[in-house]
This record gives sequence, structure tokens and C-alpha cells, in this order.
Amino acid sequence: MVFPLYWITITSLKPQKDIFTYPIRYWPERISFENYESIFRISKFHIYIGNSLMISIVASLIVIVIAVFSAYVMARYRFRGHGQIMLGFFATQMLPGFISLSSLYMMMSSMNLINNRFSLILMYTVIMIPFSTILLRGFFQRIPSSLEEAAMMDGCSRISALFRVIIPVMLPGIASTFIFAFVQNWNELFLAVMFIDDEPLKTLPVAMNSFVQKFDVDWGAMSAGTVLSVIPTVVLFAVAQRFIVEGLTQGAEKG
Amino acid sequence: MKREWLTKGKGLLVAASLLAGLLAGCGGNEGGTGGGSGDGSSSGGSGDEQIKLRVVESLTSPNRTALIQKMLDDFQAENPNIKVELISPPFDQADNKIRQMLSAKEDVDVLEVRDLTVAEFVNNGYIEPLDSFTSGWSEFDTLSNVSKSVGMIKDKLYFIPNGLYQRQLFYRKDWLDEKGLKVPTTYEELYEIGKQLTDPANNRFGFSFRGGPGSQGVTDAMVLAYNGDKVNLEDAQFLKDGSTIYSSPEAKQAMELYLKIYKETSPPDSINWGFQEQVQAFTSGVTAFLLQDPDVIQVLTEKMEEGTWATAPMPLGPSGKALIAAGGAGWGIAAHSEHKEAAWKLIEFLSSEPRNTQFSKDFGMVPIHSTAAEDEYFQSGPYKTLLEMTDKPDIFLNYKPPYQYPGTGQWSQVSMESQQAMLMNAKTIDEMLADWSAYWEEEKAKMNK
Amino acid sequence: MNNRRIFIIGSLLPALLLVLVFTYYPFFRGVVMAFQNVQIFDMRNIEFVGLQNFEKAFNDPKFMSALKNSALWVFFSLVCQFVIGLTLALLLRKPFRGRGVYQGFVFYSWALSGFLIGLIWKWMFNSQIGVINDLLLRIGLIEERIGFLSDPKWAMFSVIVANIWYGIAFFAIMLLAALQSVPADLYEAADIDGAGGVRKLLNVTLPYIMPTIIATTLLRAIWIFNDPTIIYGLTNGGPAGRTHILSSFMLDKLYTAAITAGRRLSASL
Repeated sequence: MVFPLYWITITSLKPQKDIFTYPIRYWPERISFENYESIFRISKFHIYIGNSLMISIVASLIVIVIAVFSAYVMARYRFRGHGQIMLGFFATQMLPGFISLSSLYMMMSSMNLINNRFSLILMYTVIMIPFSTILLRGFFQRIPSSLEEAAMMDGCSRISALFRVIIPVMLPGIASTFIFAFVQNWNELFLAVMFIDDEPLKTLPVAMNSFVQKFDVDWGAMSAGTVLSVIPTVVLFAVAQRFIVEGLTQGAEKG
Repeated sequence: MKREWLTKGKGLLVAASLLAGLLAGCGGNEGGTGGGSGDGSSSGGSGDEQIKLRVVESLTSPNRTALIQKMLDDFQAENPNIKVELISPPFDQADNKIRQMLSAKEDVDVLEVRDLTVAEFVNNGYIEPLDSFTSGWSEFDTLSNVSKSVGMIKDKLYFIPNGLYQRQLFYRKDWLDEKGLKVPTTYEELYEIGKQLTDPANNRFGFSFRGGPGSQGVTDAMVLAYNGDKVNLEDAQFLKDGSTIYSSPEAKQAMELYLKIYKETSPPDSINWGFQEQVQAFTSGVTAFLLQDPDVIQVLTEKMEEGTWATAPMPLGPSGKALIAAGGAGWGIAAHSEHKEAAWKLIEFLSSEPRNTQFSKDFGMVPIHSTAAEDEYFQSGPYKTLLEMTDKPDIFLNYKPPYQYPGTGQWSQVSMESQQAMLMNAKTIDEMLADWSAYWEEEKAKMNK
Repeated sequence: MNNRRIFIIGSLLPALLLVLVFTYYPFFRGVVMAFQNVQIFDMRNIEFVGLQNFEKAFNDPKFMSALKNSALWVFFSLVCQFVIGLTLALLLRKPFRGRGVYQGFVFYSWALSGFLIGLIWKWMFNSQIGVINDLLLRIGLIEERIGFLSDPKWAMFSVIVANIWYGIAFFAIMLLAALQSVPADLYEAADIDGAGGVRKLLNVTLPYIMPTIIATTLLRAIWIFNDPTIIYGLTNGGPAGRTHILSSFMLDKLYTAAITAGRRLSASL
């Protein structure tokens, strides 16, 4: 399980010339931070990390806002087309994204959104809406509807009952949905490669993809980048661990 | 579509887009001519003619991007009214992205066209012929014939190469010296000597084989070398008698040796290797012989001790001939560009003799101007063998690769799959060659229609 | 009543509209291409060819092997991911010192992108310079290097191993969450009945978390069946098409390089 992580970490600490030495060394002869230094100095990793953080967080937040409403309605109401809509959300999980790529590019191009962070935020939001709706719907179903009915008896409107009473109870579910969305967005590569042109707008996965060259994968930079790219998600997971555990339990059972 | 969701999106999206708009503004150095904010090229026309050129490269690697950026900076210093933006998509997605940009007519003026993509771009009307520009270019005369032919489709020039590639043999000098072996000059010797160096117990092998993507590089080279003089150099998938190069007895002989080279002198794993594994096996001391383009020199210098490796000309076939072709990538102009004059000015700048020669040295390519061959640098070291090959055109016959056939793009896949099946004994050599012959006969028939 | 309607429509509209416009519309545009003769070489003459692309795919001898591989791929990936994921979840259920660290280690594989996983495993599996062969040789488990990705006997096994590794985290996280929701009094009751560890697991724990198990397994099965990223990254279906699964094979056959080039990360290497 852990070996690949160990291997990548060790590689990231080896000086360039030592990475492909034979026999293979399982402990670096010399420890060096040159790979980390170079990805910040030459590859401007701080910019990409910043972009990725910004885009992933913003998109995940928007997803949550949109999905809270759609999930709430899907959980609490029955209406014509309810089943079809749910099926429509589920079906998106089975669509291979690859085949949409070129028509998406054309759409973004006609909307003048190529080379604009907004295109990524938009698409990352869209991609995560179905999954988040499905997950959040499970959480809503867990909460007895008597809760908001009581609040509405006290004179709250439906929306304020939702925000004042239900959402606070839902926080674990929301946190776990957020993290799922964040991790997906953080790692997304294909759309980011296609939609973004300028260096200052590029995201982390694109930068890492650039270490793959014609004859060579720059494993020094790649491994250092991998280690760094895992940190935010693992930290986020550790911090919100309790929420996720509670949240997923409820969500998954009903989802 | 934009309007549709803006009105129906109920404020939420408006808020989102406002937010995104704010955020898009905080990205550092994108001030000036309006970067990604949307309205693109419509601002041109009035005022003091500030022009913005967008350049996209294909063979991206960090060092190379830095070299190109440096030249672009120099260009902008010389031409204050032209601003140049360089787009550097990751190498393995670059051509696909360029294709998308061109088909959507996104802002792009100058692009790096490759020998592999030029026919496709021309056929789809994506790129502009350069002949009207080159007629006024003072340095056009010194451009070598090979450089011109690489970028030429149906007698029109579509890109000026930024350097040429030419395959040669890289070998482990120290291993050969140690065992007192000579450098192979034919494929037969490559096999014999490789066999003597092969020692699987010590993880040593003769040949850095590549059975995965790009395998046709070696199979085709061998088939061509074995057919030798019989090949139609202008249409090199075919012999002078019109049949395919894969249909001759020589082709069979070549592939029998190919199979032996794999079975007896190459790592078994290499049946699925691509460029990277092939080169890594050489740099990490697993294999002794590597057939590659000169841009690999950079990687070798970086990863290997000096004096452990050296270069030699391409191995010959039994009749003492080898067929060689130069490949290359270079700068072309997008057909929909609104600044073609400025774009050409940039290409002329990048392609000038001193700049191109320097770029070729830095990145490991053969320079495009014939005058550069006199440069000391290319008379020595790993480049010397390339010049030697050029100097013997009767032994190293120059041929034109079949880039004009629409099927070239699929060829690597077709060729690789039957070749892997053959190496795994799932197909006989005859069946494989029959597959290949059929493929090219069909291509020919389509072309002649 | 009218209010209710406005609320429903208003709440669903952003989600529905976005998904329809940016997921379904481009998807159907993509599906249409499967019925056309799209050739990157000639994008100006695209015609409908009916089921021709599908016929070619079904008549390809590799279709059957892709079908078989898909079955192996889904079955073994799913079973192993589940069993290992459940074991890890059971081990991590009770609080102990440093549990957070262990959870981090379990979790991280999920935090890597598909293209990185392909690259990393491809490197580790390499028979000459890869670390897995080297380790096995040193331990003495094998005497000759194994071409994990090149030997047809091993290649499918190897890609499945990489896939299992990638998916364990998902199961571990979901099942761990479910385990922690099992009410303690259920175990107390079982204790009173004198049930042992195994019986508690079979009679109390598993039935209680069954809904989670079913939901996560179904979702995973769909994802595993569908997602060719790891196949593309590791072997690109090779050697000689031996490791194609249905999704990678069909994408290859129905679409020419025009669109498939996009997802062929690392395939060109």
C-alpha cells in the first residue's frame, strides 16, 4: 500500500544523477532538496498551486451551493419527472468524459472562455453536480422532515428553515461532499490542458504533465511535485476526517 | 448559449461569474493587452498598430521553452510594436491541443508544425503556405534542401524547421572497449555484437529495443535498408517496381533478423516499451545500443558519465546501403491569423542563421542552414557522425517519408500491433508482412482515386 | 401550491441546466461521432457511416478478449479492493495512537490523479529499471526478471494490481465511516449472547453496514468498468491488444485519433 509513496518520496530526495543509478538504491546516498528547489524556481510551482487551490475551492463551493438546493428538492419532494431526473444524474457517472472533450472545447471557444479560469471553474462545477446531488440527497433523507416543519410552524419560510435548521445539522455531509469535489477538481488534467494557454493561469496537474517529455520523464521534478500535490488533500482529509466519516456513513447508506 | 444561462441562472451564476471575474484579475502579469479577458483580436486596427502575436510550441520541454522565450524576448526588444505570447502545452498533449485551437480558430498566429502533422494541417486548411514570404527572405538561399523538403507538401512550403532530426546509432563505448569489440556497422553486426554483450543475469542487453509506440521506426528502417537500391526514394513505402517494400524477400530477411535481435539481444520487457523506456534503459546502463534522434544527446549528456558513450552512423543492410530521412518540426502560420506579416517577421527572426545554429546546438539538432555545417561544433562529438552520413549520399540514401498519405497517422498503431503479435509468436513474419503490404496498397489505392 | 412549484423549479434549475448544457449536450455530440467517419486527416468531409464503426469493433478478434478482460478486471479489482478495504477499515476502527497517520497513508492513493498512477506504476513495473523486479530479486522470490507489463501472462494481472491499489482507499474510507456508525449496544447484546469476534462480524457488523456496502460496490463497479485511464497509462492495451478492456477497446475502435488522442495521456510515450 504505502510502498509507492515511500518510493516517490525517496526519489524526490535524490539528486538528479542518482535517480536512475543501478543497482537501485532504497535509501538516497545523498539527500538533496534540489528537486524541490527547482520546481519552485524553474517551474514556478507556487503559481500553479495557487491557481489549483483557487479553482478547486471556488468550484467546490459553487457545487455545494447548487447541489444543496437540488439535493434538498430531490429528497423532500415528489413530482413529475422526479425519477427521470435522478436517473439523469446517475447516468452521468457512466459517461466516458473523453468523448465530450472536443465539443466542449468548441463550446468554450464560442463563448470566448478559452484561456480563462472561469471555464475551468464552470466545468469543474458541472462535473461534480450530479455526484454531489446524489450524495447530499442521502444526507437530507436522513434528517427527519419534522425538523423543518417545526421551524416553519414558528414562522420561518422554507428557505430560512433550510438555512437555519437543516444546513447546520448537515455540516458533516456538506464537508465530505466538499472534499470529494475538491479532490476531483484538484487532480483534473484533461480539461485544464485544453482550456488554459497562459503560464500564469496553469494548474498543478498541467505543470506535472509537463515533466513528461519526449525521451524522458523528469522523475526528480515529478516525484517532488507528487509529494507536494498530495499534501493539501491529505491535510484537508485529516482536518475534516471526523466530518467525512460521519457524513459518508449517512450519505452512503441512503445514497 | 452564454446569454441563456446568464438570464436563467437565477443570480447564483451571476454571482459565480462575478466572483470568477474578480479572481481572473488577480493572476499576476496579465495586464497590458488584455490577456484572457475575452475580446481577443478585435482591438487591432486603430492607433499606433500594437500587434499581439500568439505562438504555440509542440515539442515542449522546460529547457527548450526557456530558449524559445529568450529569442522571443529579443524579438520584442527589436520590434516594440509587436507583443509575443508563447503557449507551451505539455508535450504529450501539445499536438492535440494545437489541433483543437486550429479547428476552433482560437487566437494563434505562429505554431510549431511537425513532420507528422503537416500533411494533416494542410489538408484541413489550417495553415498558410509560406512561399510568398520566403521569396523576399535574404537567407532562404542558404536553407538546406533537406530543411525545405521536410516542410513541403505538394511543392508548397508550410513551415521553416527549427532544426532537423536524423537517426544514428548511440553505443556504450566503455563496454565495447572492455571486451575489445568493434562498433557495429550493419544490422547483422548489431545482432552479433549485441549478443556477445547480452547477459540477462547481470541485467545487461545488446539492443535498446522498442516494441511499443514508435516501433515502426526500427522495423521500417531495417526493411528499407535491406531493400536498399530497390526502394523508390520519392515514395518510400514502395519499391521501384511499384510493389510495397514489405512484399520483397529482403523484407522477410530483415524481419527474421529483427526477431532474432529481440529474442536474443534485447530485454524481453521491451516488447511494450516506448521512447522513454528505451532511452532510460540506455542511460541507466541496461543496454548497449540505441537508435535515436540527436535531441536525445541532451538527455545522455545529463544522465551519463562522459566517455561512456559515443555515436556511429546508422547500420547498413546486406547490400551496404541504408536509407535515411531527416525529420523536423518548425514554425508555420495559422491560416486564420490576422497578423500574417508580423508572424512571418517572427519566423524569419527565429530562423536566421546565427539564432537557428545556436538553438540547434543548445537543443541537439542539425541546423537548417547549410552554412552552419562549417561550424566547429558540428564537426566534432556526437554530431560528427551525422555529417559523415550526409557526406556519403551513395551509401546513406535519402528518402522522403510517406507523410503525404492520410494513413501515416494510423500506421504506427497498425505496424506496432502486428509487430507485437509477431514477437509474441501470435503471428508469423509472413502474416505480419502481408498485413503491412495490404495496408499500404490500400493507402496507395486511396491516393490514386 | 404555486410557491412550491417555484421553489422546486428554482432549486433544480441551475443543476439541471448546467448538466444538460455542459454534460449531456457535448456527450451526445461525441456519441454522434461514433456513427461518422471522423478522420483527423480530413475534418472537412465528415459523413455518417451508420453502424460501420461498431461492426468493425464487434468483428475484431480482440473484441472477445476485451470482453473477457473486462470481466476479470471488474471482478478482481472489485473483490480485492473490497476485501482489503474492509480489512483496513476494521483495523482502523478503534482509536489508537497514531491512527490519524495510518489513515493518511490509506487515503493518499486516492489523492493522486489517474495519469500519475499510470506513470508511477509503469515505472515500478519496468522489468529492467523498475523497483518491483529489483525487490523481488533481492528477496529471492524470483530468479528471473518478470516483464510485468510485457509478458501476456502477467500484463493483465499487473494492471489489475495497480487498479486495486488505487481503489482500496475509496472502500476503506467509506467502510470505515460505516463501521463507526454501528451502535455500540448491538455489540453489547452480542456479547451477552456470547458471540465471538467472527460471529460478531458476520451477524452484527456486516448486516448493519450492508446498505453502504451495496451502494459503494455498485458505484465502484460502474467506475471500474468505465474508466480506461489506468489501462491507457500502463499498457495502452498492449502488448498486441492483450490488455484492452471493453471501454478502452471500444473508445479505440469507435473513435479515431481525433478525439481519442485527448485521453491518450502517456500513450504516445
